[in-house]
Amino acid sequence: MIDFFSWQRLADNFPKLLIYLPVTFGIVGIAAAAGILLGMLIAVVCIRRVPVLNQICTVFISFMRGTPMLVQMLVAYYGIPLLLELLFGVDSRRWPKIVFVYITFALNQGAFLSELLRSSILAIPQGQTEAGLSVGLTPFRTFRRIVMPQAARIALPGLSLDVVGLFQETSLVYMVGVIDVLGRAQTIAAQTGHVLECYILIAVFFVVISLLLRSAFSGFEEKLTYGSREPAAEDADEHSAA
Amino acid sequence: MQMNIQLPDLIASLNSGFRYLPTTFILSFVPLSAGLVFGTLIALVQVFKVPVLRKIFAVFVSIYSGIPSVVALLIYNLLYITQFNKIAAFFGSSLTVREVSPIYVALFTFSLSSIVLMSETIRGALLSIDKGQFEAGYSVGLTTRQILRRIVLPQVVPVILPPLTNHVVGSIKNTSIVMTIGVMDVLNGAIVPAETTYRFLEGYIASALIYWAVNALLEFLLRRLETHTGKFRNTECTDSATEYKND
Repeated sequence: MIDFFSWQRLADNFPKLLIYLPVTFGIVGIAAAAGILLGMLIAVVCIRRVPVLNQICTVFISFMRGTPMLVQMLVAYYGIPLLLELLFGVDSRRWPKIVFVYITFALNQGAFLSELLRSSILAIPQGQTEAGLSVGLTPFRTFRRIVMPQAARIALPGLSLDVVGLFQETSLVYMVGVIDVLGRAQTIAAQTGHVLECYILIAVFFVVISLLLRSAFSGFEEKLTYGSREPAAEDADEHSAA
Repeated sequence: MQMNIQLPDLIASLNSGFRYLPTTFILSFVPLSAGLVFGTLIALVQVFKVPVLRKIFAVFVSIYSGIPSVVALLIYNLLYITQFNKIAAFFGSSLTVREVSPIYVALFTFSLSSIVLMSETIRGALLSIDKGQFEAGYSVGLTTRQILRRIVLPQVVPVILPPLTNHVVGSIKNTSIVMTIGVMDVLNGAIVPAETTYRFLEGYIASALIYWAVNALLEFLLRRLETHTGKFRNTECTDSATEYKND
């Protein structure tokens, strides 16, 4: 048992793994940012029912919701280079693997967040948009200045859950050969033959990050809901009454 | 790298993947049932504020839900591979780790995370039931068990169905990570033909199609069930009606 687990190795591996955490943060950051942008676009397409695009988005969302992240990543990893070569003649074989991970996570988040954003935008009464237009704001400005800030507050709880989940899902990227904390653990395992300490450290990292994220988000939510009693429920009622 | 996708390879992969669909179902529905049973127990402990146990479960749930399932799976698999022979020998069994399928490790991992997830969902659903329902039950002389079974549970079902649908679909998707420990499921099954033809993309696309079909079907059926069980709840009906209209 002494040989199986040692505190010494745990301490030795800590800095080695810690320096790979930024890879995870990078994926989460890019996926969340791109996901929100893409999600917003899809949400608007769905709400406006833009002909052809609407159908494409429905199929896209259904696919992203119905297939495992791991499979999406593997399909993207093998399929995107093929697609690029076929359509544009671009040779992407020398691209870093993490690019495909970014693309997959961004598309995946776009699909998931579009659902959330769509319901948040719909929770804002139509009258708000009409009021904005009536005082001469352009549709875009009405959306950005009036609808979006209110919708953001409604979307926040769902968004925070999503980001916490996203963090955990990034642990899959080592399976396409990206070196994140788990990928580094595999290389340490190959060098030393001891990996339990690495796995335990990684589990601790993820637990700490998710606890921190959750408390940060709930603090933020409290700050936003201050002074307004349950905005989501209120707006939803108004919406269904309308 | 050869261009474009070969249909015969795709079909071969689909066939091979479909053969392992039962494994994927076992890997998702056994943990889901465990989650429903033990998750309910943990939720009841929390709702009824059982002294010490409640604290222990609360800490465990909040910590354990932070561990990604791949990491948990890798840890348990490592422990299983290295310690199984010793433990079997301790119990006087001559079984070795090679003779036992790694599917049990996966079942254990998924069950534990399903219990944790489900306990949170069920706790929320139980808390959504008005306290007056219990009081009314007690006032007419029902026991706690009778109240739970006859009054609270029927009201909890429509509340937990929407998150349960997400759990079911999520857990089917999540089973694909058993690839890391070499259990033959849909994903691993679909790339079996690729091991000789090297057409991995077709294999992955085939598995994606299978997961997609299964999940779309399940989601459709469960949403139907939701509207059915939610019938008596006035508000729920109007809510889902507006939602569907917007779809």
